[in-house]
Amino acid sequence: MMNWFPVSQWRKFTKYLSLFSVCLFLVISCTSRPQTTASTTATAGDGRVTVGTTQKPRTLDPADAYELASLGLVYNMSDRLYAYPPGTTEVKPQLATALPKVSADGLTYTIPLRQGVVFHDDTSFNAKAMEFSLERFLKNGGKPSFLLTDVVDSVKATGDYELTIKLKKQFAAFPSLLAFSGTCAVSPKAYELGAGKFKPNIFVGTGPYKLVSFGPDSLKFDVFDKYWGEKPVNKGINLQIQSSPANLYNAFRTNSIDVAYLSLQPDQIRSLDDSAKKGDWQSISAQGSVTSYMVLNRNQKPLDKLEVRQAIASMLDRPLINQRVLYDQATALYSMIPTTFNVALPVFKDKYGDGNVDKAKQLLTTAGFSKANPAKVEIWYPSSSPTRAGAAQTLKAYATQKMDGILEFDVKVVDGATFFKDITKGTYPAAMLDWYPDFLDPDNYVQPFLSCSKGSEAKGCEDGGSQSQGSFYYSDRMNQLIDQQRKEQNPEARKKIFADIQTIFANDVPYIPLWQNKDYVFAQKGVNGVQLDPTQNLIYRTIKK
Amino acid sequence: MSRSKALQYYIATRFLLAPLMLWTITTVVFLLLRATPGDPADAILGSHAPESAKAALREQLGLSLPLWQQYLNYMGSLLRLDLGSSLTSRGQGVWEVIGQYFPATVELAVCSMTIAVVVGVAMGTLSASRPGTFLDAGGRLFGIITYSLPMFWVGMVLQLVFSVQLGWFPSANRFPPNLPAPTHITGLYTIDSLLGGNLSQFFATLHHLALPSLTLGILLSGIFERIVRVNLKQTLRADYVEAARARGISENKILVSHALKNALIPVITVLGLTFASLLGGAILTEVTFSWPGLANRLYEAISLRDYPTVQGVLVFFAAIVVLASILIDILNAYVDPRIKY
Repeated sequence: MMNWFPVSQWRKFTKYLSLFSVCLFLVISCTSRPQTTASTTATAGDGRVTVGTTQKPRTLDPADAYELASLGLVYNMSDRLYAYPPGTTEVKPQLATALPKVSADGLTYTIPLRQGVVFHDDTSFNAKAMEFSLERFLKNGGKPSFLLTDVVDSVKATGDYELTIKLKKQFAAFPSLLAFSGTCAVSPKAYELGAGKFKPNIFVGTGPYKLVSFGPDSLKFDVFDKYWGEKPVNKGINLQIQSSPANLYNAFRTNSIDVAYLSLQPDQIRSLDDSAKKGDWQSISAQGSVTSYMVLNRNQKPLDKLEVRQAIASMLDRPLINQRVLYDQATALYSMIPTTFNVALPVFKDKYGDGNVDKAKQLLTTAGFSKANPAKVEIWYPSSSPTRAGAAQTLKAYATQKMDGILEFDVKVVDGATFFKDITKGTYPAAMLDWYPDFLDPDNYVQPFLSCSKGSEAKGCEDGGSQSQGSFYYSDRMNQLIDQQRKEQNPEARKKIFADIQTIFANDVPYIPLWQNKDYVFAQKGVNGVQLDPTQNLIYRTIKK
Repeated sequence: MSRSKALQYYIATRFLLAPLMLWTITTVVFLLLRATPGDPADAILGSHAPESAKAALREQLGLSLPLWQQYLNYMGSLLRLDLGSSLTSRGQGVWEVIGQYFPATVELAVCSMTIAVVVGVAMGTLSASRPGTFLDAGGRLFGIITYSLPMFWVGMVLQLVFSVQLGWFPSANRFPPNLPAPTHITGLYTIDSLLGGNLSQFFATLHHLALPSLTLGILLSGIFERIVRVNLKQTLRADYVEAARARGISENKILVSHALKNALIPVITVLGLTFASLLGGAILTEVTFSWPGLANRLYEAISLRDYPTVQGVLVFFAAIVVLASILIDILNAYVDPRIKY
């Protein structure tokens, strides 16, 4: 056979080529280039802003939207009766013109509505349209419908621009519930009333943006030129969906997107934050409303003993977890109610402190545990969260190092679907979880966790809030206090009730609050007006580039 | 029996067995989904929803029926080509989901397969034509490495090097967000942009297609490299090749015009077998590159326990693989007269 190239030369050539390739590859891979410019950059000067996210909306139908991804988009395209101005947790009228007039029995809410508002399809907004929107939320049986079906008895248009809502039971936080994005006004011409009648791919509301396209990995929103309120400062929003935090991180670093929001991993946030300090781009952070906590199942040994629950609360070191696992991207939380609300009290800090191992050992010894007979607790978490995994492992290592063998943690992981199905059955002794509030009121951080509709002090909760959260906590006094705060319209009196609730909660320890998140948004240089609302939504209308 | 009769009999048998194959696959998928932990009612209504609402939904979806009854209902719908509606994106039919996401997968699959065949055949040919040289060893090494490397890892390395560090290609997605997407005609952006006469859209599409299709294509090319190399080596030892050499025909001409043609016949068989790997690999590639294809959508549906979407998409994929393998077998039977039935 003909030999084109002598073997010895091939060998030399291949050797040099391989060496060159390896060197080139290493140099390229290891070179720090925080901001490269791909040919398809987002900075195309058309006044539109490109936002990147990993949050893919399941649906845009407000009656079925319950996840952050869907609600964030509905929020930007819609108006609710009430809304939270950025930086506050006080509701202000949006489609309503004033706060509701509440009847003496606290059951009837009369709401005056705004005139001159039109939907994206040019239909006029009025009380009938708002009645239709809320009826649809109640009756179509969407994922968040329980929020209203639990409290609302009827919705009626009692005038052209007046809505009357009757409640089944008193609920002081009801206006906050009407700020939930899903309760927005939708065009009666575009939607239908009836169980299961959803339109996941369209949105026709009254908000500052209207939906232009909804593709598998991108959405486009144009400014609604007939919007009644303050017009957005940009020409429109392109939303690009990434399938992983790594892709979002890379897309931002390569300038493919103007703004990156939700969800980056703590190490990616740290890296982007460090570069932001050097001036490569901007980092905007805000106190979030998501809380992380540990559930302690009172029906499982050894957590049935109060001293064991209190011992875990004492030995836990929140600043350490925050530093090691979250890179200081959270705030230590000492109550189930986050510090966003003025009713929050640091009850766990006052009663147990942080890393109080001596108290923990003392409590465990009182409960009959020793080095020879240690308290063994399994900590479970759903597999989707590396943060929870890190926190659980840190907790385990801390206990091993500091507790002299009296307390042992065994960390276990399970897939999310199995976890959420089994937690209500009491399968897990202890678990680490996050809470995303449905509406911004302290009630939403208390009632779903501590109330119980059926149970006893002896058996624990058999049905209700604490059973569904996996703690099975039951307290008659707690149930009474929760009912009282729901009925109480006076903010000061309500604050006192919340103080009592938190004191009992810290003593009984059905849950241990861990941290309250901080939300981080990253924006390229030249992008201004990036803001978050208190419910974690990125406000599109104020972003300008 | 004459060869053409035997061939007709073979084709008929293959088509008759296809429904049986699909039935087996659909049954396995149905049972596997029911055996996996998690409750669709939880996925749809969320874990905070009242138990009564979840029970009502299970009733409405037929999930409270005995398993055999659910199975019969499912098979009945399937016979009517009714794949049902997505549980998570309520109001959207599974056929609608397939229609929306499948073109992206087709585009990626076609490009990847083209890269796989071109690179694989070229590497295999070079390797076989220089036996015992470094080129041969390099070809073999290429085959082994590409066959064994994890798809997602290669994808991430390519992203890091060519997108983040060099900035040559976009790191993910199918199309730049700041450009208007091509008008939907076929759903294939390359074709639609050309049909629309918009070259900037066409190049933007190719730009986004480059890294995902290279990842999938190069990793699949190892299979073709190995098969071409082995077959070409055998062919180059055949008597007719020796006779051609004896007649003074140049080595290049023998290789390209005589040996390679015959050595490529098994590639057709491998092409069919690789089709299933291609769709499997597409899941990892699409997730790695945020590629909005059907495989990525399937991954989402699995995590959300969206039974109808998972079943529908898997049956659809299975039907494509079955159909593709039948077509490849028929093609093989036509081009290779040595095959007996």
